[in-house]
Parts: sequence; structure tokens; C-alpha cells
Amino acid sequence: MTDTPDISPIRTAVSKNLGSRYRAESRFRAAGLAAVAAAVGILILLLSSIVSGGLPAFSANQLHLTVDLDEELVDPSGERSEDSLRRGSYSRILQNAVRTEFPEVTGRRDLRNLFSLYTALNATRLMDEVLEDPTLIGTQYRFTMPLADDLDLYLKGMLVDERSFEPQGTLSLDVSDDGVIVRSSATDFRDLASEVARTLRARATLLEVDADMLAERAEGLSGTEAEDMLYDAELNRRQAAEIRARLETEAGPIALDGSLPSILVESDGRTVLLTDLARNGAGGTGRFLLGSEAVDGESNWSLQVIDTPAERRRVSDQLIVWTRALEARGAISAAFNTYLFANADSREPELAGVKGALYGSILTMIITIIISVPIGVFTALYLEEYAPKNRFTALIEVNINNLAAVPSIVFGLLGLAVFINAFGLPRSAPLVGGLVLSLMTLPTVIIATRAALKAVPQSIREAALAVGASRTQTVFHHVLPLAAPGILTGAIIGLAQAMGETAPLLMIGMVAFIADAPTLGLEGFTEPATVMPVQIFLWSDGAERAFQARTAAAILVLLALMIGFNALAIYLRRRFERRW
Amino acid sequence: MTDTPLNTPADLPIKVTARKVTVSYSGKQALHDVSIDIPDRSVTAFIGPSGCGKSTFLRCLNRMNDTIDGAVVGGSLTIDGQEINDKTIDPVVLRASVGMVFQKPNPFPKSIYDNVAYGPRIHGLALTRPELDEIVENALRKAGLWDEVSDRLTHPGTGLSGGQQQRLVIARAIAVNPEVILMDEPCSALDPIATARIEELIDELRENYCIIIVTHSMQQAARVSQHTAFFHMGHLVEYGSTEDIFTNPRDTRTQDYITGRFG
Amino acid sequence: MSIIAIVALAIIVMLAGGFYVGRSRAISAVSGATARLHSLPNYHGYYVAIWTGLPAFILLAVFGIFGTSLVDRLTASELRRDAAELTASFEEALAADSETLAVMEALAVLRERSESAAANVAELRSARGSDRDPARLEALQSEYTDLVNQLATAEEVRLDRRNILRDAVLDEAVESAAPVRALAGFELMHSPRERRQLFLADARRIATDGLASRASPELDAAASIMRRHASQLRNLVAGLAIVIALGGLIRTRSQIAAAFRARNHVESLVTAMLFLSSVIAIMTTVGIVFSLLFESLRFFSTVPLTDFLFGLQWSPQIALRADQVGQSGAFGAVPLFAGTAMITLIAMIVAVPIGLLSAIYLSEYAGPRFRLTAKPVLEILAGVPTVVYGFFALLTVGPAIRGFFAMIGIEDVVTQSALSAGLVMGVMIIPFISSLSDDVINSVPQSLRDGSYAMGATKSETIGRVIIPAALPGIVGSILLAVSRAVGETMIVVMAAGQGANLTANPLESVTTITVQIVMLLTGDQEFDSPKTLSAFALGLVLFVITLVMNVIALRVVQRYREKYD
Repeated sequence: MTDTPDISPIRTAVSKNLGSRYRAESRFRAAGLAAVAAAVGILILLLSSIVSGGLPAFSANQLHLTVDLDEELVDPSGERSEDSLRRGSYSRILQNAVRTEFPEVTGRRDLRNLFSLYTALNATRLMDEVLEDPTLIGTQYRFTMPLADDLDLYLKGMLVDERSFEPQGTLSLDVSDDGVIVRSSATDFRDLASEVARTLRARATLLEVDADMLAERAEGLSGTEAEDMLYDAELNRRQAAEIRARLETEAGPIALDGSLPSILVESDGRTVLLTDLARNGAGGTGRFLLGSEAVDGESNWSLQVIDTPAERRRVSDQLIVWTRALEARGAISAAFNTYLFANADSREPELAGVKGALYGSILTMIITIIISVPIGVFTALYLEEYAPKNRFTALIEVNINNLAAVPSIVFGLLGLAVFINAFGLPRSAPLVGGLVLSLMTLPTVIIATRAALKAVPQSIREAALAVGASRTQTVFHHVLPLAAPGILTGAIIGLAQAMGETAPLLMIGMVAFIADAPTLGLEGFTEPATVMPVQIFLWSDGAERAFQARTAAAILVLLALMIGFNALAIYLRRRFERRW
Repeated sequence: MTDTPLNTPADLPIKVTARKVTVSYSGKQALHDVSIDIPDRSVTAFIGPSGCGKSTFLRCLNRMNDTIDGAVVGGSLTIDGQEINDKTIDPVVLRASVGMVFQKPNPFPKSIYDNVAYGPRIHGLALTRPELDEIVENALRKAGLWDEVSDRLTHPGTGLSGGQQQRLVIARAIAVNPEVILMDEPCSALDPIATARIEELIDELRENYCIIIVTHSMQQAARVSQHTAFFHMGHLVEYGSTEDIFTNPRDTRTQDYITGRFG
Repeated sequence: MSIIAIVALAIIVMLAGGFYVGRSRAISAVSGATARLHSLPNYHGYYVAIWTGLPAFILLAVFGIFGTSLVDRLTASELRRDAAELTASFEEALAADSETLAVMEALAVLRERSESAAANVAELRSARGSDRDPARLEALQSEYTDLVNQLATAEEVRLDRRNILRDAVLDEAVESAAPVRALAGFELMHSPRERRQLFLADARRIATDGLASRASPELDAAASIMRRHASQLRNLVAGLAIVIALGGLIRTRSQIAAAFRARNHVESLVTAMLFLSSVIAIMTTVGIVFSLLFESLRFFSTVPLTDFLFGLQWSPQIALRADQVGQSGAFGAVPLFAGTAMITLIAMIVAVPIGLLSAIYLSEYAGPRFRLTAKPVLEILAGVPTVVYGFFALLTVGPAIRGFFAMIGIEDVVTQSALSAGLVMGVMIIPFISSLSDDVINSVPQSLRDGSYAMGATKSETIGRVIIPAALPGIVGSILLAVSRAVGETMIVVMAAGQGANLTANPLESVTTITVQIVMLLTGDQEFDSPKTLSAFALGLVLFVITLVMNVIALRVVQRYREKYD
């Protein structure tokens, strides 16, 4: 400050604590900015978590198999009728096709495992394709289907941690009674062996620490509880000792089990899973998961380590090996996930799509639009242009303001009690959903329309009335057209809200699992259906991890629709905006 | 316009000096090269038709134009020889020493006491409650309101009559003991009786403060001010002792205005 | 194309024709000198067209909405008639069955005893002073519970026996080659309510060539009856619609004359239509109040209001059967109120500071450009569907909270907790608070700001000492509105708060709210008349009353505030 002593006392007095006042000022300002930043940051976090969660669901790994559409299997009675074609054993055809890919698989359990590369529901899809084009019968047909959801996630790198090594030496595989003996001419396995040993040692230490803690806690207690604790501690100690004994005293190889990373040796169509690992790093023994021939001095090979232990993942080593083999053969490719849009809901995530929900949303919104927009606009017109100022009008106004704040779930209860139980309308139907959402949206439309009507200057009405127009003519010829853009914007915002609404629809049973999309026609209004937000709710509950990505993808579709709606509202507002 | 102010009153010490002050709002010039010397311990009135720039100039004197987006003030303004139209001068300090009273009474929605104590509190002028009580009482006495409100200091300030509210606002302004008091048409929202009361008050306050009042009422300017400046279309047209301006205007525009031909 | 669609098209054609007829008749009535007409020719056209089309379309719309259920009812009653013989023999068998009779007798005795026990319990509970013996009450209550359970067991035995007899009658009927329709009617009549609905839905799908969940000869028979009724009803409605339309056309056509006040008629019709529309808003409220009140009263006739409002234990699943409602405390809603309050409180702790501060920053500090970018962000937050917030809570916030507490050494925090639901709900409320308080802050008159700045106050001093106190009523009003929004919010809590009806003050535990329980009680299998289902309506009533009261207060406060500065 440039104040000098000859300046008035008030300025000196004020200057004294100016510093702290300005610090308070900037603190407050920073708090305000932080609040805005927090809101923006949360939005970014929300969107990015959904986009990153949902994007993987837009691509799908597809399995292409050449299926032999053998006449006897497809058309058991040989008459080519639809009935006969529907009785064909298409799942056998699919099974045959995978078995041709891996002819060495024979055991019952192995086969069942093999058939879990895809979901059995694909047989129906194959049937539909044959029904569509019966000339396929008897040919070798290239059939495409989605890979099982877990394997799809595996290929997208979302299921396990894994790494691969380029080895230095040459590989030899010898088949013996104890399994396949794997050897490398260099010390390719040494690092892995010491890594495994380290892991085991750490596990032993952890068990011991745990045991000590249990023992310590047991000291302060008595009775069976303490006994149990001591017993657990003893068990832990024994396990730890076992592990240490295996590691330190025995000279033999380290056994690999499901609690340790899986080590795969891959070479030219062969894959060996190591079951034990020599300590010196020269190799180990294992078993063939793919192929069965011995080799010697092979230089073209690689090491694949799946760090997530087999016990803690949903896919076995065997399925991973098959998937990798099919991918290497070009039988698996990633493509845009058309199932997400072409299918309705399904129990199998890889076949589940939003089509049913999308159709349900469209049907529901049609009802909502044709009910809430006219009634809303009419009500607003009545209140704004016609209603006498009396008690009844005031009652309607108060009523509308309060209706706007009634929780949406209460509208659901109304729908259940009145439309379904009293009127006997069908449950889960877009008709009832639309009716409930209309009542819910009505206040929004009314309030927006009234605002738009209020914005039309009184002079326009007076001008029209002055040339002898009736009130109805004034309203419909002059006021309504001028207020139309505002009404449209308000209606669109209300409808977008209705499109994202979930809770009231749960009340009227639109929450059921529905595997068929409703018809886009008059009958569709009374067929059971679900809508986008409810589909999101249903999927978010899905046990399979793949449903999580699909939930996020469905959210992205819904958000895209809503952004489209809102963009339309903004465009209309800009295009027709008029300032008085 | 010349560089030297018009007809500077010589008998009193100069408090406020303006040289070539210009103001523009978002590029539109509202005030052109105003130069003026305003004496201390007297009342100076700014008159002129609506939109002539008198209020704009008034708002320069406590940098209230800073609060308007897009307002640019040029030229030089000093109070007691110290430049105020300068980014290094803190408007908070400046405004503490330049009080302002607005067209419509704007008491805060607080008690009468809190209204008057507002300035001393934010500036930390009183350390104890008795000190603050004294400041409030003094300010209310100076504003001639004490006798009317001393028994209801905790009542809301918005509950007073219009004239009382305006005097409350004046008390609020003088509670921090400013050097200059700006009044922007302080009586335009009041009835004649309340107006007379305020005018009396302005006359009393003249002994201690430099008062600058914007008014659209020429009678009021004649009644309360010692000096008058006439503004027209953003220009300072004429400035001199009130008597001279009203009895012997030099500019035809001034003459036309005071004889009521326009405005 | 269905006959209804054809009729609808025909009515549209007649409507257009009606317009033309009305118009041309009006013109010809004055031989072309339209100035002599009371109303413009078009109004005569509108008048005829409205009376041609409107009643017929209303009939079609009513048919569209209620047609399906009417057909269902007609079909069901016809099937019932067909099954009369079988039903009679079944009833005969029931009446003759000694086992059933014995069970019925036992049931009557049990019922009597349980009623008197219930009366004793009630009497003791309402007793005062020394008569109020807790030990005796407990004994009586356990006796009562015992009786209720016995009753339920006996009921089960009766139903089992009934089913056996029913199957026997059915088997006999199949053997004696009874008509399929009788079998269908019998099946329909003697299955539980939800199975009945499923049966009819399947029959409907078969009748309209859709995919049914199963197929049987009985269903086919029902479908053929349904098809017949549907087509009869359709034809009836179609014919009636045409007659109404034609009648309207002919009647109104004859009214057209030079002096006919067609415009006034049309306009009063329009006004009536507008008025009727605005009555719908009232009807909605009336519908809400009555449906909630009606079902709630039925609920309170089995569970006392005080038990519901002040009971500390909520476990509606225990009372699965209608006659098992003796277990006091099962419908105590206090844990739900507490859970709702806790989540709302957490949401407000998040939303009020962020919403208020950002509103202040945007209206007092931010430049116009910053405001133009930041405001839409808040609007987007407001537009995100709540189910998306729920998923966000489930996917991101819940695990993050668990991770955070695991990091600072607090293990076994659940993913679905009051904290995660509250935080996310707070985020949802932020734009609500910020836009409402933005309005409120902007309506504080500029003169108050000027007054404060002119005193030498800094911005934050002006905001803290003048603007906020001046805007306080409005801000309080908007916070109240936000609270009512939070109390009624459903999806976030359903997805993120868990379902445990814990009465706890620990935000890291899972709690349940009023809305969650409504959803839980009304989704999935439900018998409509059980107290379990009815309690959802009682909860709905509580929710409605709470939000209504808060809204009325908030709107009043905000309105008063607005009036003060307008």
C-alpha cells in the first residue's frame, strides 16, 4: 500500500488488517472454485468409469467354425418341412465342428469342457439360419458365433495377468510314463524356478505370522474358542513347515499346483502345462494340453506364464490353451458386437443385447408422448389463458406444483393399484409403463408450457383481441405458435427424464426377464417388455463379469439417446428462440 | 474542454481532483474527458438530464464501476492528492474512506444495529462491544435517527419507513467516518417530508465531510449545494458556485436545462 | 390389418368427409354469401368433424385399453361355466371327504382359539399399571404364535388334501373323456391367482399366434374361446364406432344453418377439453391419495399403526402367510426411517456445500465464459438417469470405499453401504441444489451488493454477511426440496445401499430405506392381499406424506422469499 501517515485515520485503520481479509477472500474463492472443480471432476470420473467399463462390450470375439450340415442331423424326417427342420440336432452339429478342431479330445469331461467354448444357445441360432436358407443343408457351412463370455474377457486381457518369454535355448520334449519331460538347452527356466520358490517361501512366512497372531490371541482367551485358535495356528504351522520342507530339504523338483502361476510351453501346435519345475532351471515335467508329439532341439518355441493362479480364475488352463490355439488358427476374430444390438436379453452375456429394451423404451415413450404432451399443453393453456381466478384454479395450481415433487416410485404404486389391480391392464406392458410415465411427466410439461406461454407478451393477445378474434382464435392462432418452441423444449426435457426413469416401472412388473423383443406394432403395447434403464438395472445385478461391461455399454446407449434428445431440445431452442 | 477545470472554487481546500476522466462500458463511451476540482467540507451537486453521465462520474470516485463487467475508466482522479484510479490502489481501502448512499434505500436485511455496525465490523474498527456501541450511537445521532430508533436497535432495518431507511443508510456510511460521501439521487424515492429531513441532514453533515450529490431536481441542488456541476451527454458542461450556475449560466445548454427547456 | 385399424381409418375418412360436408352445407345454406353466416364455413366443418370423430375415437381408445382384460374376463367366465359339472363333482368329493371334514373342524377350533388368544394379547398390551405383566404377555404371545403356526400347518394339510382330490377329479375326467374346455376351466379355476394370470396370458399368446411359455390342449381350447370373444368384441366395437360416427355426422349435419353458432360450439368444446385435461392433474393426486390410503388402511387393520411407526424390527419376509401376522415387530419401520435419514444426511453433507459453493462461485465470481462452460456440466449431472448413478456407486464408489478403509486398516467394510449410496446420491443432488440456489442468489437485489461494496466490503464479506443472510429463506427452501428428492430417490439406494434392515449409526454398514423396501416388497412373486405386499403401500403413504409436507413448506418459503424481493 502506498498510504502515508498524513492520510486519514480511516484508511490507516482499514489498511492494518487488509492482509488477513484478502487471505480470507482468496480462501473463499478457492473453496468456490474447488466446488465447481469437484462437480466437473465427478462428472468426468462418472463418464470415464462408464466409458472405460463399457467400451470392451462393443467388440466381441467370434468363433468361426465350419459346420457340417449333415442332412440326417438337420432334417431327421427328410421332408424339409419347418417342423422337421426344427427337430434337427443342431447342438450335435456344433459339437462335431469343435471336435474336428481338436480331434485328440475324447474323455467325457474333456469334451464337456471343450463344448463350453461357446454357449449351447447358439444351436438355436444355427437352426434359425438353416430355416432361413434351407439350401445350406448338406453343405459345409462357415458358422459364426460369439465365444463364451469368460474366454472373450480372457482374450480382451480383462480376466488374467499373463506374460510370455522368448527363450534362449532349444526345446526338447520327451514323452515318458511320468508325463512330458521338458528341457531347454539354456537356463530358460531358472528365473521361473526361483520366482516360484520365492512365492512359496513368502506363503510359508505368511502362514507362520498368522499362526503366531492366532496363538497370541488365544492366550487371552479360554475354553473352546482358544482351543480352536490354537488348533488353527498349529495347522498353519504344519502347512508352513511342509512348504519349507518341500523347498529346502528335498532335492527334487518343485511341484506346481493350482495355487501357483501356470507355466505353458508352446511350440508349433503343441502346448505343455508344467506340473513340476526342476530347481536348476533346466526344465521340468508336464502334460500335453494340446498335441502329443515329442520334439528335440526345437528352436521355435515360447513360454507363457499365467500369473493368476488357476484356483482364482473362472477359466481353466485347458480352455485358455484351446482358445489360444483357435486364435492362432484364425478361427477366432474380434469384431463389432452386433449381438448387443440385434438381440434381446439373454441369460448368456455373450448373446444378451439391448434390442428388447430399446423396443420397449420406444413403445413406452410413444404412449408417454401421445398422452403427456397433449394433456400437459391443454392443461397449461387452460390455466394460463382460460381459467378464471378462483379456488378451483388455485387448487389445480398447487396440486401441479406438488405433483412435480412426488417421488417417482409413488407413481409406480399408483400404476400398480389403479391400472393393474383396479383396471385389470396387463402387467409388464409398455401401455401401463407409458401411462405411469405420462402422469409422472405431466407436471414437467405443464410447468414448461406455462413458462413458454407467460413469455408471450400480452401485447400480442391484445392486438388479436382488438381486431375481433375470439379468445380461442387468439390462443390457437397467435399465442400457441409463438410459444411452440418453448413448449417443445420443455416437453423433450420431460420426456428425456421419463426415458431414464426406472423405479415406477419396477412397480408395474417391467422388471421381468424377457427374452423376446416386443413387436413394434399395436400388439406390442400389451406384450410384456422391459425398457433401457430397467435393463441396465437387471444387468448390473448379473453374476457374470461380462454383464458388467454390457451394463456399461447399455448405459452408453441410453446416454447417447438422451444426449440426442437434449441436443434436439437445445437445437430447437437456438433455432426458434425469440426474445421480447 | 480544456485541461483546467472550469471556474474552480478557490475559497476552500480541494478534496477531489479529476483530470480527463473517461468511462466506457463495453466499448461505448459514457463519459468524455471530465476535469473538475471538488472542495472539502461543502456540498457539490451534479445535475443534468438522465443518462448525462453524472452518476457514472460519481461511481468513479469510489471505483464502483469496477463491479460492472466491461467498464473501463481512464484519466486521473485524486483524493487528497493521492491517485485513486490506479490498479495498485485497493478499492476496499478507498471505499472505506468514500461512503456512498444510493437512489433507493438499501438497508441490509439485518437489525438496525447490525446495519450501522456493518462497516466498523468488516474493517475491524472496534475492538470491544462498548466501542462498537459508541460508534453505532454516534453514527445514528449524526444521521438524526437515534431518537427514533434507540429503543428498537434489534428490529430489522427493512422495517423502517423510506425516509428512515435512507437516514439509516447514511448512518451506515458515516459509521466508518469516511472523508467523502457520495449520494446518488438520495431523495428520488422519498416523499417531500422525508426529503426535507434528508436535505437538513446533508446540510448538517457538510461541516465535517466532503459531500457530492447527484440529483435530477434543480431545486434540491439549489437548496443544499454550494457548488454545482452540469453534465450533458457525457460532458461536464459547466461548473461553478451554485448561485452562479442558477442565476448566471454561461453555457446555453445549462441555461436551457435550468429553465426547463429539456431534461 | 385388423378390423380396428380399418375402422379407425374409416373414421378418419368420415371425419374429413364431415368437415367437408359441414363446410359445404354452410356455404350452400347462404348460397355462397359466406358473410351472412354467423361463423366462418370452416367452423361448421370443424363442428361436424368433431362430433363425427371424437366419440368414436374415445370408444376405440377405451377398447384399446380395456379390451384385452375384458376378453380375459369373458373367457374366464365361459370356461368356468364349462367346468361347472367338474366343479360340482369336485365340491361333492370335498364335502364327502372325511379327512377334509376333520381338518376343517380342527381349523375352526384353532381359529377360534387363536382369535381369543389374539384378543387376550391385545387386551394385555393395552393394559396399564400392575395388570401389565411382561412375563404373562410373553407367555400369551408365544401361545398365540404357536396357535398361528398350528393353524398354518392345518391349512397346509387342508390344501394338500384338496389338491389330491382335485387331481383325482381331473384324472377321472380325463379318463371319462370330458371336454377339453371343461378341463381348461377346471385348471383355471383351481390354480393360484398368479398361475391363473399366466394361464390367460399364454392362451392370449396362442390366440394371437405368439410364443407361449408352454402348450397344452387346455390352453388351445382356452385360446379358441378367447379368439371367439376377441373377434366378437372387436366386431361389436367396430360396428358401434361406425354407427356412432355416422350418427354424429348425420345429426350435426342437419344442424348447420346460416344462424348456427358453429364457432361458439366449437370453442366451448375446446374449452371443455382443456378444462378436462387440467382435471387429470387433480385426478392423479386423488388417485395417488386414494390408492395409497385404501391399501394402507387394509394393512393397518392387521398391523397396528403404532407398531408400524415405532417398531424397531423390520422383517416382512417372516410373515409369509396371511394368517401369520402375530409376530409383533416384523413390520416396525423405524430401521427404514433411520436408514433413509442416514443416507439423506450423507447426501446433504456432500451436496449442500458443493452445490451452494458452486452456485455462489458461478453467480458471483465466474466470468461469463467460465459460467457458460461450467453450467452445462451441472445440467448434465442433473440429466444422468439415477440407474446410472446406482451403477456408478456399485461399480466404482463402493469398491473404492472398501479399498480406502482396507488401506487405513479397517477390514470387512461392505461394498453396499450407506456411505456409498449417500455419497453418490449427494452427487445426484448437487445440480439440484446449485440450480435452485443460483436462482435464489440471483434474485437478491443488486442494490444490496452495491451497498456492501460501497462500504468497502470484499466479495466474500459481501457474500457471507449480506447475500447469504438475505437469500437464506430461499436457500433453506431449496435444501428442503433437495431433501425431499433424496428421501424419494429409489434406484441409487436399491443398487448401492444393500438390503439389510439394520438399525445402525455406522455409515459403513448396509442399511435399507423406505424406497428400497417398497421395491423389494413389490418385485418378484407377490400375493396381492398379504400384509407383506400391503405394507409397501403403507410405506408409500409415509413417503408421500413426508415429501408432500416438505414440498409444501419449501414452496411456501421460496414463494414468500420471492415476493419479498420482487
